[in-house]
Amino acid sequence: MFSDFKSDGFMYLVILAVIVFVCAQSLFFMKKAWTRGKELGITTDKLKNAVTSSAIFSFAPAIGIAITVITLSVALGYVLPWIRLTVIGAIQYETTAAIAALEAAGMTGGISQAITDPEIFAAISWVMTLGSILPLILIPIILKKIQKGVSDVASKNSKWMDVMTAAAFIGLISAFIGRGLAGTGNAKEAIIGDGAGVLSLAALVASIGFMLFFTLLNKKLKKNWIEALAMPLSMVLAMVIVVLINSFLPEIAAIEWRY
Amino acid sequence: MNKNYMDKIHSWGRIWCIASLAFFICIPVAICLHLNVWPDPAIVGKGVASIAFFFVTGIVEVVAYSPMLGAGGTYLSFVSGNIMNLKMPCALNAMENAKVKANTEEGEVITTIAIAASTITTTIIIAVFVLIFAFNPKFSEIMSSDTFAPAFQQVTYTIFGSLAATYFVKHWKISFFPIAAVTLLLFFVDPGIGVLIPIGVVLSMLGAHVMYKLKKV
Repeated sequence: MFSDFKSDGFMYLVILAVIVFVCAQSLFFMKKAWTRGKELGITTDKLKNAVTSSAIFSFAPAIGIAITVITLSVALGYVLPWIRLTVIGAIQYETTAAIAALEAAGMTGGISQAITDPEIFAAISWVMTLGSILPLILIPIILKKIQKGVSDVASKNSKWMDVMTAAAFIGLISAFIGRGLAGTGNAKEAIIGDGAGVLSLAALVASIGFMLFFTLLNKKLKKNWIEALAMPLSMVLAMVIVVLINSFLPEIAAIEWRY
Repeated sequence: MNKNYMDKIHSWGRIWCIASLAFFICIPVAICLHLNVWPDPAIVGKGVASIAFFFVTGIVEVVAYSPMLGAGGTYLSFVSGNIMNLKMPCALNAMENAKVKANTEEGEVITTIAIAASTITTTIIIAVFVLIFAFNPKFSEIMSSDTFAPAFQQVTYTIFGSLAATYFVKHWKISFFPIAAVTLLLFFVDPGIGVLIPIGVVLSMLGAHVMYKLKKV
């Protein structure tokens, strides 16, 4: 396992440093926000609920992200994709960046072939890094101005701001709902479930249905744990529905109206 | 909002951002030093040039998402990534549960805590699973098998389906237009989710603004 230069002991030391850095930053901001929350009179229960519901919520998507590491591991080993998906990365970007670097080096096999040349491996690590760091340069410069602008508008017309904030969230959600209903998949590869079809529709309908059920249940029973677990439970149960449809009705599961 | 706290968040955030930038650039440098190779700058330049459109999405993401993520949430999210598929829905869910609004100091506190908790959990889960995959290839075969892979392919839809149930029920009057417009657009052209999100947000805000002016919301 440690014999390959892409996954040797040094690479594991790098990912360890990345994990420590990311967790230290998160703990720092969490502590500051927690203290401020207490000063503002937010109850400890609410603050704890924010931690537990967010942690539980993150389980299924995190496993999904870990699985995407497998996609890139054939070409890059496990550690570089792991580093990239722990910081800044998202699978769409990392795959595109890796392919772009390979093509720039004159390799046309894509990410399905193992990289054996350390120089090309190093080039890919540079391309992945340089292509993704612009937000980290911009944020220290413009974030305070953006936040001040939003804060000024909010203080002048709070009702309009509330409507616009809700609309922004709804627009974001609509983009994903729209993709589940009519988004296209990867035309080059016949992958079940990447285009809009039975599985994406089942995932949407089931998660909406389960969430409405838990919301109604919470209104009736008024239990904190239902509120905290409603979203992660809805997601996991909807994924179970997808697995069941895919396992027991494979012909129906394969139906996609957008390829 | 308390200027003092917000000013401090920006000061800390800037320090962490610059430290992150330096740290992330050190990673390829360390790989080069360790492997004792330095790639041809022309190859790196060509690779970066061919993904230059990510610079545009990077700018759009900072401008569009930071008002929703809050200051602390933005500083955290842009370091740890996976914003749209994880950090943003996590923040929205936490604000709904805590019954606080975005762009208030309570919202700022809750989103920061939620995104920090999500980041730590995600980092640990990814680490555990990647180690299992790396040292037990059979497990990675099972997880990426035809049985389970489609479920993880739909995980984004289960996130946004659950969120939709909360938001659309509450704001149904301003929800119809963006869903219909985005879906209709996708039947003609699919620009990819990176472009589709800003389009959805702008259309939704325009529709909501018209409804507000007509006093329908």
